[in-house]
Formats: sequence, C-alpha cells, structure tokens
Amino acid sequence: MIVYDKTELENVFLVEQAHFLESAGFISKEQSDLITKKLTTLKSQNNILIRAGFFLLGCFLYSSICGFISLISPESIIENYKVVFYVYALIGFAGTELLARQKYYGHGLDDAFALGAQLTLAIAVGLSTDGNGLPIALIITITSLLCYLRYVHVSLALLFCLATTASLVYILFEFGTTGKTILSFVTMLFSAGIYFFSKIILQNLKSPYYHKGILLANSFGIVLFYLSGNYLVVRELSVALLGVEVAPNSDISFALFFYAFTFIVPIGYLVYSLIKKDRPMLWIGSLALAFSIYTIRFYYAVLPLETFLTIAGLVLFAFTYFAIKKLKHKETGITFCPDSFTNVNALMNAEALIASQLGLKPETIQKSNMEFGGGDFSGGGSGGEF
Amino acid sequence: MGRFEENATNRLFEKNLIGKEQMYQITAHRDLNIFSVHTELKLFLYLSVLLFTSGVGILIYENIDSIGHIAVLTLLLVVTIICFYFSFKNAPKFKKSHTSFENPLFDYLILAALLLSCIFIGYLQFQYTVFGTHYGLATLIPTAIGFYCAYYFDNKSILSIAITGLAAYIGLSVSPQALLNNDFYQTKSLSYSAIGLGVVLVVWSIYSAKIDLKKHFNLVFLTFALHLISISCINNLFEPYWGIFIVLLAASSYYFYTVSYQTKSISLFVFAVLYAYFGLNFLLFKIIGLIDLEDLMVPFSFLVPFYFIGSIILFIRLIKKFNKNIADDSIR
Repeated sequence: MIVYDKTELENVFLVEQAHFLESAGFISKEQSDLITKKLTTLKSQNNILIRAGFFLLGCFLYSSICGFISLISPESIIENYKVVFYVYALIGFAGTELLARQKYYGHGLDDAFALGAQLTLAIAVGLSTDGNGLPIALIITITSLLCYLRYVHVSLALLFCLATTASLVYILFEFGTTGKTILSFVTMLFSAGIYFFSKIILQNLKSPYYHKGILLANSFGIVLFYLSGNYLVVRELSVALLGVEVAPNSDISFALFFYAFTFIVPIGYLVYSLIKKDRPMLWIGSLALAFSIYTIRFYYAVLPLETFLTIAGLVLFAFTYFAIKKLKHKETGITFCPDSFTNVNALMNAEALIASQLGLKPETIQKSNMEFGGGDFSGGGSGGEF
Repeated sequence: MGRFEENATNRLFEKNLIGKEQMYQITAHRDLNIFSVHTELKLFLYLSVLLFTSGVGILIYENIDSIGHIAVLTLLLVVTIICFYFSFKNAPKFKKSHTSFENPLFDYLILAALLLSCIFIGYLQFQYTVFGTHYGLATLIPTAIGFYCAYYFDNKSILSIAITGLAAYIGLSVSPQALLNNDFYQTKSLSYSAIGLGVVLVVWSIYSAKIDLKKHFNLVFLTFALHLISISCINNLFEPYWGIFIVLLAASSYYFYTVSYQTKSISLFVFAVLYAYFGLNFLLFKIIGLIDLEDLMVPFSFLVPFYFIGSIILFIRLIKKFNKNIADDSIR
C-alpha cells in the first residue's frame, strides 16, 4: 500500500530520532551527522519555513499546469466545465504519485499536490452534484483515506478526520429536525469512538509509519468530543440549524447538562493528562478550559472585560507561581526541571514575536496612544527564529 | 506514546549507530519517566503577564476620568517598582555574553515591569502632558528603558518591544498623521525612514558583533532590519521611480543572504531568498509589460509551468548549498 520504500521511510524516522537525541544531548553532533549520512532517506523537509515555501511553489506549479491544460483547448473547457475539474484532480493525483516515486516525502511540493488534488476533486464533485455536501464529504473521506494509506501524509489524515465528521453531520441533516436535534449527542459518541478506536490501533501498531496520523486522529477525537458538548457551540448551532430562539429567561434544552459538560470535560482532560503524562491532551485541555471560560463570558459578562483580564492575569500568575514553587526541585514525574526530551526553542522564539506585536505604537498628537494591543508597527517582523 | 521513539532508538542501536553506553543512558533517562511542564508553566507566566498588563492598560484608559489620577499613578508606580525591585534583586551580574535568571519567573516579571512603566509614562503624558509637546520623548523614554532592560536582563521579548518603540519614534518624527490612519507606508518619506532604521539596526548588529556585546541579539536586529528594508522597498516598487528600489532590494537581499550564512539562520535565509524572488518576478513582469507582445501571450503562458519547475530546482539547489556550507542539521 505504501508507495515509498519501507526501509527508506523508516530511515526518515530514525534520522529524526537521531537529531532528537542529539538535541537532547545524548549523542554528539558528529555522530548524528554520521547517522544522517549512513542512512538513505527520502527527500523530506523538516524546517517548517522551507516546507511552507515549497508548498507555495508547488501550488503555483499545480495551478500553472492546470492553466496550461485550459489554454490548449479553451472551447472545449467552456462546454465541459464540469468535467475539467476532474481532469485537474487527475493531474493532482498523477503529480502526487510522480513526486512520491521521486522519493519526495513531506517536502512541501508533494503536500501541495496531495492536498490540491483533494480540493479540486471536491470542487469537481460539488459542480456535478450542484453543491450537495454529502457526496463531496463521502468521496473526500474515501480518497483522503486511500491517499493517506499510500502517501502517509499527516495532513491527509487530518483531512480524513474532517471529511468523516462532515459526512456524519450531512447524513444527520438528511434526517431533518430529528437529526439536527441529536447532532451533538451523535458527534459525542462518534468522537469518543474515534478516540478509543485510535487508541486501540495505536497499542497494537507494529510499524511506525502510521503512528503520527493515528496520534492525530486520537487528538482530533478529544477536540471534537469537547466541542460537541460545549455550551456555546451547542447553543449557537441550535439557533442556526433549528431556529431555536432563546428568550432572556429561558435556556436551551438540556442546558444544565451542557454547562456541566463545558467545565467537567476540560478539567477531566487536564487531570487525566497529568496522570497519564499525555502532552497533547494537556494542551488541548488547557485550551478547552480557556474556551469554556470564554463561553461563559460570552453569555454572562459578570465583570467588564478589563477587570476580568486583570484578575485573570493575577490568578494565572499566582497559580503558576505556586506550581513552579512546588515542582521546582522534583526530579521525577511531573516536574518544572527542563527535560532534554522536550523541545522548547520554537515556543520561546514565538514569545519574542508576540511581544513585538504589542510593542509601542507611535505617538499621536491628540492623545497618548501608549496603549497596548494591535500595535502593528513591527513592519512584518515575523517568522524569525530568534 | 513513547513506544515508537523507544523502538526507533533500539533500531539505531541494532544498526550499530549508537553505542552501548549511550543506549544505557537513554534508557535510564526514559525510565525516570519525567514529565516536564517547564514550557507549559513558562507559557502560563507569559500569558498572565500579557493578560494583566493589557487589563490594566484598558482599565486605566477607560476610566481615565473617574478614578483619582494620583491614586492610579501611585498604584501603578508601586506595582512597577515592586516588579523592578525583585527583578534587579535576582538578576545575574551583567555580562557581555548570554546570561539568564536562575528562576525563569523573573524574565516575565521584568517584562511586566517594562509594560507597566510604558503604561505609566503614557498616562503621565496623557493626563499631565509632562513632556509638553515633545511627543517623541514620551516614546523615547520607554524605548530607552526597554533597551536598558533588554541588555541588562538579557531579554529578547523586551528587546523587540524596544525596537518597535524606536520605529514608533521615527514614525512620529516624520508624519504622525499618517499613522493615525494606521497606515505605516502611506507616506513615502516614512518608508525611507524605515529603510534608514533598518540600516541603523544592521550597523548596530555589526558593531555589537565586533565588541562582543550580546551577540545572540543580532538575529533579532537583523530580522527586524530585513523585514523593514525589504517591505519598504517592495512598497516603493509600485511607484514611478521603482528602478532605484529594485536595486536596493537586490542589494539588501544579497547582504542578508550572505549574513544568513554567517549567522547560520534559516529564517533570514528563507526570507532573503523570498524577497529576492519577489523582486525578480516583479522585474520580469515589468520587462514583459515593456515588450508588450499581445500576440505572443498564449505561447508565453505555456512557459509558465516550466518557469515554476525551474524556480523549484533553483530553490532546491540553494537550500542544498546552504545545507552543505552550514552544518548538516541547521536546516531543521
């Protein structure tokens, strides 16, 4: 199924591991260079900036090839505009296959073709079915899964997760009001299914190739589970889909359940992730908790924003201060000691960037403008690895 | 989770690529089962500082007439001084090389102190016009404090804030009115000053490399300089006198390209190449526009895919060369 030479694909992971061990200080630089030299790998690009650049170039190339085709026979295109997009999609698939045979894996170019093919296919199906969502979602589910199994791109795994969810939602829409009413419960069950299913696969997985994709599906399940029961999401969706009007002193049905869900789930995630030492879940849990607080503030703004921000800042600072104090000297388990096995550089660089975004704004004549927020004077000073 | 990483290490060991001793160390470390929340907690600190300072900023701004000024000023001053006091107390001795606090908490405390003192000075100017009509002074003083703190405490976040302050000062002295419309490059002279500031930053980075002063800051200076100069040049390309700026863009791209080799900085490299590529395409468009071949448009567009293939090959070559000249892993 996998298009790549399996040893070479495995070597990609091994070289990754070697660099990881080097950055953690377990092996020397010379040794990691030697490993890189000894193992033949695929052409992949680990630097996100360069990969993004090649992705852009790949998009240009793909669209210019499509434009090229259109220019050869402009008349037939106007007549058969519905078919043309299938041709474009075919070009995309052919390009993906070609690049994969040229041993491009996660290089940027191949990402552009793999995702571009799916996009054009979706447009093509959309044109032939007059924009019906269900067939688009179903077909993308199948093609993205097949492409993922063949090309092992994590982005395709994400697309597969999204397309499956979209298919489910569209199928529920087919049932009319009943389907829309039970939407949140069904997605809850569905996402729990994804989570446990991917977990089982992960435990029984022998080869490392699909590891990252399944890990992604696992995290996707966690996120979807939270969102499907979040009060804000449920309420806004029931207003949008079912036309429910929430009067000032009333609430949506099962409101209490959703309120509880909004807070219990993120806290559950946090506790569970700390017990199980599951970092992705810890991050998702923190973000989910922040979103829960936003959810409540969205409907019940007890405090004005500025007071809320100030107090939130103080509370967070106090919490972190005590957490650091407690964890500072621990040597095992959960600790504040920097672990050589966690890479932190990228984040610290991002901090300097964000700080420059809220830096000083130029003074104006009428009033002091030394406020914060949105100081867009950094002249695009972005994307640096400081 | 870690099972596949362990497997990968084992495979490396099986292939005789890592030694027995190393394997032992790695396994021993894994067995400690450390779960470090270092990054997460630092991020929380950072967030809390941002939340608190923006909260205070808005609070003062919104209630500027209702709270007693003296009370607000005093409170702000007290909090700022407390933050500064603890930061100075725990700061390592100033060195020209890289230093850091023993406890990362203070990195964020000093950031809070700086942001609060910016608010304080802004408030002072707004309410009491301490600096009269010398508005520049109200920007320059926080900037100066920023640079001092950045160098004394070795803090890159503060350094980038100070650089934005410098830019703000220049923006003011040229044309503040244009900035009211939130349009940085609306006036030409402003973009000239942006280029000037970029050059100053470059010169400063060269000088500080020479005297060995906080060399790791140079990347911040150079990043700002690269984007300031290149974006200003690109903005001026759409003016009638674009010729000068394409030369300027070429020169700056070349300079930053060579600098990226010296500093081994992939981000400088990528952006220098990107801006140069933009300039090149712009030049090509201008030339095509000059030739004005209406009839040849269709065969010409056939060449476009090949043009992109050509540029992709060129980029791959450039990156390979960069990789070869710098150590192997710097591209990550």
